[in-house]
Amino acid sequence: MFFPKEMMEIELIVPAKDLLAVTKVLSGHGVFHQADSSYPSLGSGNTWQESAAGYAGLERRIQVIMQTLSIDEGQPQANKEFETMGDLDVIRSAVEGMEDEVKQATDQRIAEKKRLEQLESTLHQLQPVADIDLDISSMRNSRYLFSMLGQIPAANVERLQTSLARVPNVFLTLRSDISKPVVWLAGTQANADVLERAARSAYLSPLTLPEEYQGTPAKIIAALQTTIESTNRKIADLEVTLAQIGKTRIEQLRALLWDVHASRVMAEAIVRFGQLRYTYVVTGWVQSDDMESLTQRLKTASKEILIETLPTTRSGFNSNVPVAMQNSKFLKPFQMLVNTYSRPRYGELDPTWFIVFMFPFLFGAMFGDIGQGLVLALLGYLMASKKVKALSGLSGLGGVVALCGASATLFGFLYGSIFGFEEDVHIFGMKLEPLWISPIHHIMDVLMVAVGAGVVLLILAYLIGIFNYTVSKERGHLLFGHNGIAGFVLYLSLLGFGGASFGVLPVSPTVFLALAIFAGIGVLFSEVFIHLVEGHRPLIDGGIGTYLIQAGVELFEVIISMLSNTLSYVRVGAFAVAHGGLSQAIFILARLAGGGEDGGFGYWITIILGNLFIIGFEGLIVGIQTMRLSYYEFFSKFFTGGGMRFEPLTLKPVQEE
Amino acid sequence: MAASGVSGYAAISARVRAMYSSLLSPQEMARLSDSPDFQSLLAQLKPTIYGSYIEELKEKELTPRRVVFQIKGRLADVYDSVIHMAPEHTRPLLTQLYRYFEVENLKAVLRGIVTDPTWERVRDVLFPYGSMSVLPLQAMVEAGNVSAAVELLRGTVYEETLSFAMKRYSAEQNLFPLEVALDLNYWRKLWQETKRLPSKDQQQALRVVGSLIDMNNLMWAIRYRVYHELSEEELINYTLPFGYHLRDDDIRSIAAGADIASVVQRVYPGIPDLNILLEEPRSGLPLLELQLKQNLMRQCMAAFVGDPFHIGIPLAYLVLCELEIQDMTVLLEAMFSRVSEEKYRPYLLKTALVKA
Repeated sequence: MFFPKEMMEIELIVPAKDLLAVTKVLSGHGVFHQADSSYPSLGSGNTWQESAAGYAGLERRIQVIMQTLSIDEGQPQANKEFETMGDLDVIRSAVEGMEDEVKQATDQRIAEKKRLEQLESTLHQLQPVADIDLDISSMRNSRYLFSMLGQIPAANVERLQTSLARVPNVFLTLRSDISKPVVWLAGTQANADVLERAARSAYLSPLTLPEEYQGTPAKIIAALQTTIESTNRKIADLEVTLAQIGKTRIEQLRALLWDVHASRVMAEAIVRFGQLRYTYVVTGWVQSDDMESLTQRLKTASKEILIETLPTTRSGFNSNVPVAMQNSKFLKPFQMLVNTYSRPRYGELDPTWFIVFMFPFLFGAMFGDIGQGLVLALLGYLMASKKVKALSGLSGLGGVVALCGASATLFGFLYGSIFGFEEDVHIFGMKLEPLWISPIHHIMDVLMVAVGAGVVLLILAYLIGIFNYTVSKERGHLLFGHNGIAGFVLYLSLLGFGGASFGVLPVSPTVFLALAIFAGIGVLFSEVFIHLVEGHRPLIDGGIGTYLIQAGVELFEVIISMLSNTLSYVRVGAFAVAHGGLSQAIFILARLAGGGEDGGFGYWITIILGNLFIIGFEGLIVGIQTMRLSYYEFFSKFFTGGGMRFEPLTLKPVQEE
Repeated sequence: MAASGVSGYAAISARVRAMYSSLLSPQEMARLSDSPDFQSLLAQLKPTIYGSYIEELKEKELTPRRVVFQIKGRLADVYDSVIHMAPEHTRPLLTQLYRYFEVENLKAVLRGIVTDPTWERVRDVLFPYGSMSVLPLQAMVEAGNVSAAVELLRGTVYEETLSFAMKRYSAEQNLFPLEVALDLNYWRKLWQETKRLPSKDQQQALRVVGSLIDMNNLMWAIRYRVYHELSEEELINYTLPFGYHLRDDDIRSIAAGADIASVVQRVYPGIPDLNILLEEPRSGLPLLELQLKQNLMRQCMAAFVGDPFHIGIPLAYLVLCELEIQDMTVLLEAMFSRVSEEKYRPYLLKTALVKA
């Protein structure tokens, strides 16, 4: 529960004849995380590489067909067994057949769409000269006049004019357009070549009319509009044809896609096997719980397979062991919060359980209000249940929001606050009184308690850190690390020194000071001691002088960060106070809006809007502050992270963790 | 309000200066060029900033093309990092500057389609642009022809630019109009983004961006006249009317047939022996371009002197990184092909700078 799932390393020697059967077992059940054992190889790995590339290419082609036909990939049949790898040639010919069937209609559709685009562009260019009562072809075939009507990139208009500064010409912008203005360039036929080259180099695209469009611009425009309508009809017909093809082919395409997908996964897995003369070497990781069933399946698939399993210790260097978390569905949203920071390493304590309690606790303490908490809890429920479509995208966060809302409600009872009302409030005939304290009226008390809670959380973080070092058997860090026993003793003795100096503890401050100096020396020379305990040489990298300066600065930083981490929790109290203050500001505004009256329409509208603002705005800020306290103050004391995700081979799509 | 001045640039300025120190010094570059062969050069590169990029390659993949591809990854990382550190209001300019490599990728893909349309061959000459690019480059290559490939660019920033150029491509079956359209569009947008900056940033950015534009615009104009023999009007249309020192009048003079050496002399008074260089343009132009790049390098290095709180420093650093990778490419290709030292050394910007 507190650690990632237990893993076992597995090494297989597979006879070549059983290769496919074993690969199917390994990739068909979603339990085997493959490690690359492709080196050294005796060759012919390329054949599998080619097969994998072949399947990948076919998979892509099928996806393109499905996209064209607007068919989604769907899911493979639940009871479908991918017995063998598909024959590349057979699949290729099936894909080509379907491509041909689809191609005719899609090519026609593309051609018609292009035609439509051209027609619309021609129409666009002719519209500015619609009123001119002149046969267009007479301009085109003029004996003395060079004339060019067309579109040009807007950025080139000025440059074209500049380039023609020494050539007599008339240049008019007939239609201003931000990207494609319509222009008309004219000059004498004697300069036609120069004008044409200039226009071409400025990317002026001349209007070209097919032969069937003759006469005045108005006449051509009318003809164009008729053709555009008929082209649109043709496109619609082609889309109906494609939809029909899609309807008849949907099952076949999906089945083919998943067959090819499975074949690709298996081929890619084999590429990463180590190939010897008659056997293949396969290495990877399996969760211990799945080991027995996998072994049985493998032995059924191959009588001569050799299986070697190695249990994995949680101590020492284990960053290459994949990590599978073992939290229930309820904890998934909180696990997501942890993973956002980092995935735990194999030998590391999974802090999800701590976050489940700590995150809502800190949030509720900063946002304590019965009404607003209930609204948040309801919102979280709606997010998690996916009952409101607009919120379904946030379903992963629903659990966190709901629990934070519930916590805020509990703290609301402790603070005696409901929708910001704290005085003279009656619920079901009972007067609402703070069960503990009203933050706005006891500011110093709340701040002190917040720092106290911070101290408790930091002590817990140090203890978890010490536990992690113990489990991973990093003795040097355990004894002398900044977050190990030396760091912890330093922190406690600094706290004790502070407490004794202010008379809170009945012990002389000198005792704690001596303890702090002792622990400080441990931290100051932590690198030396760690190297000494763990057998690393040299004890000091670089000169002693440099080391002392560096270690001194580091010690200073450690002490400062202990202080700042502790004081950082004062924000929990500060936000609880600010929450009350913000509510009071809303009431002042509400009275102003209600003309000084409590109970008018303006008053209640302002109260409602103000509460919504607090829930949205302050809720977000408090959420960010909670995350900050969790990540930087709490996690940084014990959580290293950097674990590799357990990604088992699977022939069917899996839901993201 | 956008962060600017000391508050906006304190962090990025410090970081970029730290990154600047990881650029290879001229002495280090000289040492690398002293390597006896390709393998020794790779061994010498391992302790440098490029080492981690090369280490990702297996032994059999250590070809100049693959190594260059890998070390370009360093430039991609640098861009990514600088863009993310930069103040919000300067990011459009930096992103547009970075887009140069996307445009180059696009051009390489189009050339690949025409010459050898296999993704495996095209892939290695591309710049590892990363997630900032959404171009379907592989699908474009697999499309098999230029028209189908350009169709795949619908909805991207290149659609409009290429829609006009494609009409010319269809008629002429030549990539030239497509490439020119992409280039002009890129530099125009870069200029526009520079002009959108507040005055102090704009002034500093113009030194770097304007110098880049000057260099490219001048080389285009000269090449169009010398190699392509374009008409005056075409040359003007294929060049840009703005720059830092280079004026539109200069471009128009070159287009109209004026003496190229005297125009270059006016814009770049420090370049020696211009007349000799341009006497035989085919051999002289690459050397002229080299001089212009060195001049650009000096401009960029000068940006690090004085007030550090402006966009000039990140821009200059990015350009210096790119020039360093150009040097590395020359060196790797030369060593692999066993080109003699006297032939490739003049093309190393950094070592030549020391001599200068």
